[in-house]
Amino acid sequence: MSYLDKTIIEINKALKEGKTTPKELFEQSIERAKKYQNKYNSFVTITDKYEEKEYNFNNKLAGIPCAIKDNFSTKGIRTTGSSNILDNYVPVFDATAVKKLKENQINIVGKTVLDELAMGGTGTTGYTGVVKNPYDITRQAGGSSGGSAAAVASGIVPFALGSDTGDSVRKPASLCGLVGFKPTWGRISRFGLFPFAPSLDHVAYFTRSVEDSAVILESLAGQDYNDYTSSNKKVEKYYENLNKDLKGKKLVVIKEIIDSVYDNKVIACFNKSLDELEKCGAVIEYQSVDEKLLKAIYPTYMVISCAEATSNNANLDGIKFGNRQDGASIDEVMFNTRTKGFGEFIKRRFVLGSYALAKQNQEKLFLRAQKVRRLIVEKVNDLLKEYDAIVLPASGDVAPRFDSQSEKLSDNYLIAENHLAIANFAGLPSITIPMGKKEGLPIGINITGRLFDEQTTLNIAYALESKLGYKNMMGGNK
Amino acid sequence: MIYEPVIGIEVHCELKTKTKMFSPAKVNFGDAPNTNVNAIDLAYPGIMPLINKKAIEYAIAASHVLNMKIDRDLWFDRKNYFYSDLPKGFQITQDKRPIGSQGYLMVKLPNNDEKRVNITRLHMEEDTAKQIHYNDYTLIDYNRCGTPLIEIVTDAGIRSVEEAVAYIDKLKSTLAFIGVSDAKMEEGSIRCDINISLREKGTKVFGTKVEVKNLNSLNNVALALNYEIERQSKLLDNGEKVAQETRRFDELTKQTVTLRSKVDAVDYKYFTEPNILPIHLEEELISKVIDSIPELPESRKQRYLKEYNLSDYDASLLLQSREFSDYFEKCNNLCKQPKLVANWLLVDMSSYMNKENLNITNVNIDYQRLAELITLISENKISSKQAKEVFEIMKTEDKTPNEIVKEKNMIQVSDEGLIISLIDEVLNENPQTIEQYKSGRTNVLGFLVGQVIKKSKGQANPGMVSKILNQKLNS
Repeated sequence: MSYLDKTIIEINKALKEGKTTPKELFEQSIERAKKYQNKYNSFVTITDKYEEKEYNFNNKLAGIPCAIKDNFSTKGIRTTGSSNILDNYVPVFDATAVKKLKENQINIVGKTVLDELAMGGTGTTGYTGVVKNPYDITRQAGGSSGGSAAAVASGIVPFALGSDTGDSVRKPASLCGLVGFKPTWGRISRFGLFPFAPSLDHVAYFTRSVEDSAVILESLAGQDYNDYTSSNKKVEKYYENLNKDLKGKKLVVIKEIIDSVYDNKVIACFNKSLDELEKCGAVIEYQSVDEKLLKAIYPTYMVISCAEATSNNANLDGIKFGNRQDGASIDEVMFNTRTKGFGEFIKRRFVLGSYALAKQNQEKLFLRAQKVRRLIVEKVNDLLKEYDAIVLPASGDVAPRFDSQSEKLSDNYLIAENHLAIANFAGLPSITIPMGKKEGLPIGINITGRLFDEQTTLNIAYALESKLGYKNMMGGNK
Repeated sequence: MIYEPVIGIEVHCELKTKTKMFSPAKVNFGDAPNTNVNAIDLAYPGIMPLINKKAIEYAIAASHVLNMKIDRDLWFDRKNYFYSDLPKGFQITQDKRPIGSQGYLMVKLPNNDEKRVNITRLHMEEDTAKQIHYNDYTLIDYNRCGTPLIEIVTDAGIRSVEEAVAYIDKLKSTLAFIGVSDAKMEEGSIRCDINISLREKGTKVFGTKVEVKNLNSLNNVALALNYEIERQSKLLDNGEKVAQETRRFDELTKQTVTLRSKVDAVDYKYFTEPNILPIHLEEELISKVIDSIPELPESRKQRYLKEYNLSDYDASLLLQSREFSDYFEKCNNLCKQPKLVANWLLVDMSSYMNKENLNITNVNIDYQRLAELITLISENKISSKQAKEVFEIMKTEDKTPNEIVKEKNMIQVSDEGLIISLIDEVLNENPQTIEQYKSGRTNVLGFLVGQVIKKSKGQANPGMVSKILNQKLNS
């Protein structure tokens, strides 16, 4: 038995009682990280340097080992964004989220694999290799925060930092049986997170319980001088205020999204979850949203995110840092660096983004996508005027096999597998928790709440988790 | 054929802020290369822009003195292009909504005519890094990278080289006067790009325009424009077409040369900067900024002429710089002797500063002391001759005029009785001089005045001595 198999709240209790020590936890975590590396490929870098310090276990995060997605700037620790172009990049500063975790005496055990520069949803495009799902290594862990998801689901760490631009934490959480949470845009500083698409990017994270998720939020949230878009709203006592009583809460299910889910087991688990939510006192209603709007989520997301991404990653030219390639002129140096440094998938996205922003296309593509985004946001915020949260299956099915082909123009793909991006469009707090299993593989449910109402979002998840009992789930065999 | 030039001017002006537009790194011209640089300037992954409030205030001030409308919401955009002097791969600028729009500047031409130059927009942006190209390598200095800039764009209403030069000169001095920029072309804090085309005089249609970039002195502006007018006239006279292109001025040959064709112009793929939410400018901030703008030279000059009765020449000299004019005003506020202050500043003080290579901001005689000295003169406590002596001492010793006067026992005698008795003594001792005076040699008066002053050990008020002597001799 290792205390690593427990939740943060439980580990903290054991630390207080002297049953384990931060050093022991750290060493066990490193041991597992190394042992599982070949199997799941969670990490780009494992940081096995432990530094003893004076811990204060009244802080629930003190001495907890954690993993950080490799697109968070970590001072002195190589940070690659899982891209060859940053293979040799060692940052000179900590991302605010990392800084805050350190202030809370968390111990970093490593930097996790992501889809290259966070652009992807499969966990297969990082330059150091494919991330595998701890429940079944023939399947994806999901992405882009795949390495973080696999690290938490395999019990290496009870908590890992990720980022969520379309569903990059909440989807892998669903596929790996985890709690994946992204709060409101502006709630956690993005300073030091490698930008993919700033208007959609969120700092997000994986835990194995809703309680742990609430504890983490308290330490990460808050205004940051370095991020002009971070909110000055007061940080609440999310953990202390957790409440399972959902009396008076109104939840909405979007009918067209349920219709796009083809898998019966997913639907069955979802309906069971709705029953349990009702038992907690919530009222559940179905509402319609124009299917055209829902089908537009994916193309809208692609246009906006790729457009922003092409600009954000223009700094990667080999001039100031990074994996520079030689050339006869400055232009050639930049050209060669980028040609060799980027993988095919993200080059494709850069081309797409550039195309959408080009003068002759901007009106038709980029500006139109922004218009559609506004329409979707308006519609969702209308629903949230009446309802406390939206409840939906986080994914249309369990984790896909590496060799599976998705039918990209089907309703199932366009809607069921992409609707989580709504919360990125609108910047809403959104959480995925496990709601069941199909043939041993986890399936998740997603709850999306009102702007800055993290508490209600967490409470609904907390109530449902306690009813369903899918808490602290892990895959693999320890 | 007779052609008329059609000219529009874009001026990039570096703001005189302590730190950069979007980072807290220092701005300081002339520092060792790459010493004023931080992670934001180098575009390390994960950096985000911070907003320099002072730069916004300077942009508001500049917009105001250029009579522009000020946008109450600030929007920033990204201008995307790859270049090694641009670390982020994009420049944060204001594309769709410049902070200032629809303004103008009244410009005085060499023939004293006034010309209204319309300014269509003023927007904020950040400067690029400085590159020094060598044969087989390039050095980059990131100190300049991120320096706050304002870009000021005129319409195509400028019609001659004189107008263009006068406009830039006036813009430069105005921006320097209100303190938002050093506005030094030679240091690159002001840079001009000029669009010029020719058309047959009397016609309305615009010709093909050529952009001339990076002109670093008023002289080069004139040379480049004259060169372009000649070059384009020749082309047109020969029935050839002017190519739409960007040219640069070559300082060695004094000619403009092709830099690039406009046909393959870069598409900058502008879009709104997602990391800066629109910033609302409160009325309170705007009025605070406007209230703190110093009175402009034109208005000061009118005051100097009308209220202080100074000559046009003196008024212009006092307005040679904001600092000089401020010194004059502060000094005059204390002693209320505009003519005396102007004289002392423009004669004694100026020659002292010239000799010692000082300027009004670092000269060791401050306005309080000069005002004290002038007050001693205007209250007849010391003679102007004594004042010069005091001034000499003030140059080298850190003492107030009153201290010096006391030390040197320099009190001027204005006691009429005492002066009369001294005069009587002198007249008694010089009967033949009185004869000479009465016979018409009135210039001996000076000799007599000198004798009286000598008797008083230099302390008698020369004005009074001369007045009383005059009365006595003419009675």
